[in-house]
Amino acid sequence: MNWQVNYALKNIWTNHGAASAQHIRDDAIRITMPDRPDVVAVISDAYAINAELAMRYQADFPDMDFLCGYRKECVWEGGAIRYLESNTIGWGNAGTLGSAIHTGDVNTAAQKDYFFSYRLIRQIRSVTNLDREFDRVFTMTLASGRTFRVGMIMEYEPTADAIRTFWDRFGPIDIAWNINPNGYPTQNAIEAGRGLGCEVMKWDELKVLLRNR
Amino acid sequence: MGRVKSAVAEPLMTAREVAKYLLTSCESLREFESFMFGSSLFGVGSDFDILIVGPSGEPLSRLKAELRLAGKELPLDVLYMLPAEAEETGFVTRAGCRPLMRLAAGEKR
Repeated sequence: MNWQVNYALKNIWTNHGAASAQHIRDDAIRITMPDRPDVVAVISDAYAINAELAMRYQADFPDMDFLCGYRKECVWEGGAIRYLESNTIGWGNAGTLGSAIHTGDVNTAAQKDYFFSYRLIRQIRSVTNLDREFDRVFTMTLASGRTFRVGMIMEYEPTADAIRTFWDRFGPIDIAWNINPNGYPTQNAIEAGRGLGCEVMKWDELKVLLRNR
Repeated sequence: MGRVKSAVAEPLMTAREVAKYLLTSCESLREFESFMFGSSLFGVGSDFDILIVGPSGEPLSRLKAELRLAGKELPLDVLYMLPAEAEETGFVTRAGCRPLMRLAAGEKR
């Protein structure tokens, strides 16, 4: 059994009361909840999931309801997200799968780390165009015609390393948006962003920017 | 409802075992302060939360490479902080972080 399948099964058995789960084969598990249809989840150990990999998983497991990137650092490309969502397949990390098991919306679940923030941006009127390149990176065009490449930083308290690592991995961004409402970026993180050429900000500052530019 | 458990599921590493494993397999950890925090300390959660406090630059790059290798088949969620950031945030105390050395040695809080 793959290591990530082993962890996923144990996690469901330990933390998800009424759910039961069993290994089907390779990366796939079946999850059973009382009074609900069974769910097939594919537990991937990939560091990055693109459309090609998502399609391959679906070809291997045609009844896949949810694709889980078990690694915390797993990155989802925009193409994979569009492919999965258009095929009514949920996607996200182990936490997203866990929540979806309880709510019963496994097929429509999306990585919960970024779900609410991205939805918030989609609802802003001054944003006329949105292109989601990765689960955590999008380019938005405002009514004024200005375009910003935005990175969503989910850390509780983003550090200088978090900003630099993000920049190295995803390329230049204009805005590093700290989407976790509870913490604040460290001073070193703000300075690291400045040094690279991006503004590290919370929602209150981003809101003002959206209103004024 | 009865739980269906595959007969081939293997036991997972405990927090103490993970601490020992990381200290053994990542030599560069000697140059940093390292901690575990969060639910993984109590045997629940889907991954192991690790905090590394220390310098940036080459030593950090080396450590990241070692941790990436060590975490090939282990769900690690690693947070890196500069000493000044650890001090600014008070994260070590606030999050109840436990030093990997003490955890590996089986010391109680």
